[in-house]
Amino acid sequence: MNPSSNAEFIESISTRFSNVENEFDTLKIKVKPEEWVETAKILKEEFQLTYFSWLSAIDWENEVSVGDPPKESVSPHFEIVFCLSESIEGNIVLVSTEIEKEDAMIPSLIEVFAGSNWHEREAYEMFGIEFNNHPNLTKMYLPDDYEGNPMLKSFELISREVKPWPGEVDVEGMPENGSKEGN
Amino acid sequence: MDDILNTGNVPYISEASVSVEIETEDMTLNIGPQHPSTHGVLRLVAKVDGEKISSVEPVLGYMHRGYEKLAEVRTYPQITTLVNRIDWVSGFANEIPFIAATEKLMEIEAPERAKHIRLILTEMARIASHFVFNGAYALEIGALTPIFLAMEDRERILDLIESVTGGRFHPNFNRIGGVKPAAGSGPTTKKNVQDLPAGFYQETRDAMEKVLEAVERMEDLVGGNEVFKARTKGVGIISKELAEEYGVSGPILRASGVKFDLRTQTDFLPYDKFEYEIPVGENGDCYDRWYVRLLEMRESAKIILQAIDSMPSGPLQTKVPKVIKVPKGRSYVRTENPKGEMGYYVISEGGLGPYRLKIRTPSFSNISILPVLLEGQLLPDLIAIMGSLDFVLGDVDR
Repeated sequence: MNPSSNAEFIESISTRFSNVENEFDTLKIKVKPEEWVETAKILKEEFQLTYFSWLSAIDWENEVSVGDPPKESVSPHFEIVFCLSESIEGNIVLVSTEIEKEDAMIPSLIEVFAGSNWHEREAYEMFGIEFNNHPNLTKMYLPDDYEGNPMLKSFELISREVKPWPGEVDVEGMPENGSKEGN
Repeated sequence: MDDILNTGNVPYISEASVSVEIETEDMTLNIGPQHPSTHGVLRLVAKVDGEKISSVEPVLGYMHRGYEKLAEVRTYPQITTLVNRIDWVSGFANEIPFIAATEKLMEIEAPERAKHIRLILTEMARIASHFVFNGAYALEIGALTPIFLAMEDRERILDLIESVTGGRFHPNFNRIGGVKPAAGSGPTTKKNVQDLPAGFYQETRDAMEKVLEAVERMEDLVGGNEVFKARTKGVGIISKELAEEYGVSGPILRASGVKFDLRTQTDFLPYDKFEYEIPVGENGDCYDRWYVRLLEMRESAKIILQAIDSMPSGPLQTKVPKVIKVPKGRSYVRTENPKGEMGYYVISEGGLGPYRLKIRTPSFSNISILPVLLEGQLLPDLIAIMGSLDFVLGDVDR
């Protein structure tokens, strides 16, 4: 990554938006759901972030039926993230917002980036988030009569319930603080 | 009609029948999921008016394996096995961004030698993937010979990958903090650390010479073919703006004239040490997409030859805890996969496995452009256009 242009970019984004985090050279702008589409527009037009990389969601939940729960207690909500990039310099920005789980709803980005179409369909199917003004909000991968949203933390992996996964053994017998070095 | 037919004037009849206008309804044509040109199991529901496509709706999910969900119940080292299988034509290249994202969170770095081995194998995966494209694309256009040549050439690369990693398609070779000791170089003890197999450098040099020859031959055999040119030049043009808006990346974006290559921006693979060019197209048509990939193979071979010559010595693994726990945090790392931008967004809560793993695959975004691109095209061009996008269904559905 070109360090000087990257530093300038971080500087300009930080002055334009109020809630910016920088983690491992990746900028994350936190916005309110009302500013969702507006932010995408600003980034596209003012910062030339014309390349739409991806959009997805995260289900924050304390009680989970798969994997480990978060270490610290969180208020249950959906976080939606999209990623934009410059096409030449390659600076990237993540934009994130938080919405309620009840009647999860957010405006669609299609009017700004037509490419968000499939990504939003995927998030709709996997998390049950409604994208307003989406022209074709249907299932992306799963059969039409499939019930449930598989990526929710409350969605059980049935095969795992029936039969514990053998791979788990690898982890169980290990010391809690494995400070001993590997090979 | 009858009057016309009874005149007995043959040229007159043919002229008359052309000018007759028939009201036609759009016919629905179901292409796939088991159609050779869909590279797996993509289904297209096309509405056609005669030979003209009025709309296309891709139907996905025939290869959906739910890797993002499966990753939530696995530990970090176990996920490498999964991500191998996303794009099976270039398995090795899939591992790199995931490993890099995890290493970033753990704030460790692989030794230089491991980085070089990673780079060499990534470029080999790129060459292998582009060989498949070259052969298969020519086949789809109607030329039978190139696929046999391309598969033979690819096998040479796969043999090299196998000699190092032990796997032809799914190497599962990367470890967090380095690479696995190479296969076939004797047993590991504390004193005898396995490394690249004996004779690897020379074999690679020979294979790369063969790749350079194969590229020349392919340029002649396929690129010099009038039928191939006629079917691909000016067909399926993707404009720069359209490509960027849909997140189309890799050789497709470069064929549209955008010099966007993530290899120039990676800090975890030493691409900056080597000299190579980034081929860029002008018109963004099928021919350019084919040609950009062909030229890329040549550049990849050059990178590998340079990397072999400047291979540093040293360990293959940095020291990592036996039980890998990743500190709380997030990182998004993307690399230049043979098909485009491949990225992993790792969200760690400090556990043995990620809280959430978002997998951004190139083919998904690349084919999301299909409904726009195919509208108004002719049906025979559909095959040429789809083939030029070079997608793998595992990479689309995940």
